Amino acid sequence: MSLWTRLARTFRRSSHDAEIDEEIAFHLAMRAAQSDDARAARLKFGNPEVVREDTRAAGILVWLDTLARDVRYAVRQLRRNWVVTAAVVGSLVLGITANTTIFTLVNTALLKPLPVADPAQLQLLEWRSAGWPDALCDSHSGNTDGSPSTFLQGSSMSPDVHRRLAATQTAASALIGFSDNQDVIISLRGRGAEQASLQYVSTNYFPALGVTPLVGRSHAAADDKIGAEPAVVISHRLWQRLFGGRKDVIGDPIRINGIAATVVGVAPPQFFGLSVGSWVDLYVPLAARVTLTRSPDDTRPLAEEAKYWWVRQVVRLKPGADPEGTRQVLNQQFRQLVVPEGLTLDPSKVPNLVSLPAVRGFDSIGGNEGEALLVMLLLVSLVLLIVCANVANLLLARAVGRQRESAIRLAIGASRGRLVRQHLVESLLLAFAGGALGLWGAHLLSRGIEVLLRQANGPTLDLALDGRILLYTVAIAVACALLFGLAPAFRAARADVQDSLKAHGRGLTTGHLRLPRLLVGAQMALCLAVLVAAGLLGRSLANIRLTDLGFDREHLLYASVNPWRSGMPASQVDGYVTRLQEELSRIPGVRRVGTIGSRPMSGSSSMTSAHLAGRPYRDDGSDGILLNDLGPGVIETLGLRLVGGRSFEPRDIRQGADAVLVDERFVRRFYPEGNALGQRFGTSREDTTSQVIVGVVSNSRYRSLRDEDLMPTMYRPMLASQDRGSTVHFVIRTAIDSPGLANDVRQAAARINPDVPVTEFSTQSGLVDRLLQTERILTLVSRAFSIVAVALAAVGLGGLLFYAVTRRTNEIGIRMAMGAAPGDVARMVMRDSLWLVAGGAVLGIPATYLLARTLKSQLIGVTSTDPPTTAAALGILLVVALLAAWLPARRAAAIEPTAALREQ
Amino acid sequence: MPKADHLQGALELLVLKILRRGPTHGFAIATYIETSSDEVLRVEEGSLYPALHRMTESGLLKAEWRMTDAGRRARFYQLTARGKTRLAETEARWHDVTAAVAKVLRTI
Repeated sequence: MSLWTRLARTFRRSSHDAEIDEEIAFHLAMRAAQSDDARAARLKFGNPEVVREDTRAAGILVWLDTLARDVRYAVRQLRRNWVVTAAVVGSLVLGITANTTIFTLVNTALLKPLPVADPAQLQLLEWRSAGWPDALCDSHSGNTDGSPSTFLQGSSMSPDVHRRLAATQTAASALIGFSDNQDVIISLRGRGAEQASLQYVSTNYFPALGVTPLVGRSHAAADDKIGAEPAVVISHRLWQRLFGGRKDVIGDPIRINGIAATVVGVAPPQFFGLSVGSWVDLYVPLAARVTLTRSPDDTRPLAEEAKYWWVRQVVRLKPGADPEGTRQVLNQQFRQLVVPEGLTLDPSKVPNLVSLPAVRGFDSIGGNEGEALLVMLLLVSLVLLIVCANVANLLLARAVGRQRESAIRLAIGASRGRLVRQHLVESLLLAFAGGALGLWGAHLLSRGIEVLLRQANGPTLDLALDGRILLYTVAIAVACALLFGLAPAFRAARADVQDSLKAHGRGLTTGHLRLPRLLVGAQMALCLAVLVAAGLLGRSLANIRLTDLGFDREHLLYASVNPWRSGMPASQVDGYVTRLQEELSRIPGVRRVGTIGSRPMSGSSSMTSAHLAGRPYRDDGSDGILLNDLGPGVIETLGLRLVGGRSFEPRDIRQGADAVLVDERFVRRFYPEGNALGQRFGTSREDTTSQVIVGVVSNSRYRSLRDEDLMPTMYRPMLASQDRGSTVHFVIRTAIDSPGLANDVRQAAARINPDVPVTEFSTQSGLVDRLLQTERILTLVSRAFSIVAVALAAVGLGGLLFYAVTRRTNEIGIRMAMGAAPGDVARMVMRDSLWLVAGGAVLGIPATYLLARTLKSQLIGVTSTDPPTTAAALGILLVVALLAAWLPARRAAAIEPTAALREQ
Repeated sequence: MPKADHLQGALELLVLKILRRGPTHGFAIATYIETSSDEVLRVEEGSLYPALHRMTESGLLKAEWRMTDAGRRARFYQLTARGKTRLAETEARWHDVTAAVAKVLRTI
């Protein structure tokens, strides 16, 4: 009978009770007929009510009572064997803490929906067209994904098209517009400047997401007006950090990039925006972009550029609406709105909307980081399996010790099922203790990781405990309990009553510890897999880290300033940059200084396509080239070689200059005959002549360390004043690494212009490390896991050998009595240990290759079957085997034959 | 909770044994135990019915309502396959134990 029917019966008593009543009535009637005396029968029967209650209770209560008895009994057993209990719970806490922590990361980064109302109703709206819609858009911020020649997908549209579509559409509950997160500098009166993340949002952003400001209001329709002072909703974090959580913050002034704005509201604590991993601090209306990005000497009238597309869109579906149907209706409207009046366009040139689920927001963590997280989850699960094997062996050893107890219980009538259940109840208690402590441990560890990520400028994640994490922990705890509890439970239930009782509890050397050996062998196999994974990841990281950049990365520093943000007019920018460059080169220990548009390995790069006369233009990226801007002195500072032609001269550095340098890869790709100097090419469909190659420089890496990302590169002369709003990076080559240099650079910058701070200071190695952050964390974590795995496996192996020696004391005594030397006995134990490891290796190598296959995407410059790594992992296991066998071997060698035999 | 019953094992064995002869109701079981033991064993109804129900729950017996020969509705109990195996086991154990006890009694 199932638990359910039992429970149902307790509540649905009536029909069952009626049956019992009838049965009792029948009995009484029969008794009365027999004795002709109803009263006597009734007296003899006893209180019918009691009988009925007892009868009814037999079902449910017997079941519940035995369970309660099992639990009490289990607690007593566990307390009696408290050393074993502590060892078991301790290992489980270790395994579950690690596992739950990694799952917490996976949960936040890959599973958790956005903290908004009904996130499943949200769809991201992007567009797709055949090739670039040049007639409509000349510049695009967000993501573009150009799939070869067939179509191009873009994420954003112009603010004007967005506003008109949002105002006229009725197919969806709401259409929300927002920008990518932007870095800005904010300052309050009486406080220094600091960096923050800003998002431009439509005024319906908060209400349509169902996010209510904690304090103040969200944006009003009137706030989205060009030229108005920006109304700012600040994040809860910024509110705490900058305003100390003051309730009267509403109406306070705040300067964004030096421009005055007003705080109107505070977002709720858990709301981070729409992109998991980055936390928006400031939300301002779309129209505020004009104000916030304008340079002070710009005299043109305030207006949004019509052909600049930068507004991303999320649509909230009507309840129960079909995403595809909604998209079709919106698409029709969009295709009409996007083509300006008076322009006729071939319909095939007009983009179409596509809709994507946005339950987890946009630009979410995924790809490489997501895979790395899943690899970590896989590794930590292997560690948990090793833990389970250890625990199973501990419990097995104890179950053998309890064989007499089991036999007695069987003899007095307990069913084998009851015994199995009893042991499983014990296992579950252990697992839940481990799970509860592990959950707590994971909570603490997650808090630590949050802090570490913040300090390392990593992704900002909300790692709070939630129902999913709780469920996961319970699930792995139960899975563990079944894994490590079933074997001992069945072992106990299999106890042979006759044998155990007859043998006077003197455990004969029954069996050959087959199951424990199998478990230890499996542990060795898992351990090997984890070691190989850690080894491969480590080698891969070392490979990629040592990749030749094409220049010397040592003693190379970057200092970044943004003169625009402090309101410097364009006319002064070039002079300022030149003066600061001179000032920096005067710092003692500095050998050379140059300026560059994008720092190599900084993660930001520009791309375009080369278009040569007589060669078909390809906008699908197959003729893609990288683009960087080089200021005076940078070629020498980096140490690039000029292989042909000349470097930039002052006459090249002016607005509209056409001179460019290209690298050797560019020459090999586009001018295989090598006659690149003096040749002209362009960078768009109509253009084949705008650039002229004046020199060729040696190859270097600028965008990525991976070989498959290598691309031809062209360099333009850098003119800081030409690139409005962009940061200027100084490249500084020093003679030695001097810790005081950062300070010297800051002082030099302050001497030239105290209003322009150094916003970032980085070393080339630091940039490489930051680019490899995911790989570094993965390597570190896998290394930590492998250490834990080795330690656990060593304990498991050592424990088993010890146990085996104890059980074989007799046999060893006899061997020694017959002339075996202590060395022989020790060697016997060692041999045993090596056999176990060898067995593990045989099991493990195929498993390892399977695991390594899943790592493939994370590996660079090393194959997943790398023999040296496998050999090294086997070597480590061998050392573990010898070390773990050392103590048991000594114990065996120290056995006194006479004493061992007398014990019998 | 039913009272602790020291003879629970024995009662169960007797019930099984009696039902081996064919399905019957609780009253008949009680009567049969009493008469065939020459009234040495008195069955408490307060133990019998809970035991019958417990054994039904655990699948040793199955119960159904039938008419007695006298035309009254009564709950008849019947052995299941599990009940039969259980009977064989418990009976064998019972004989072992009593034989052992007898042996001990003889030797002292």
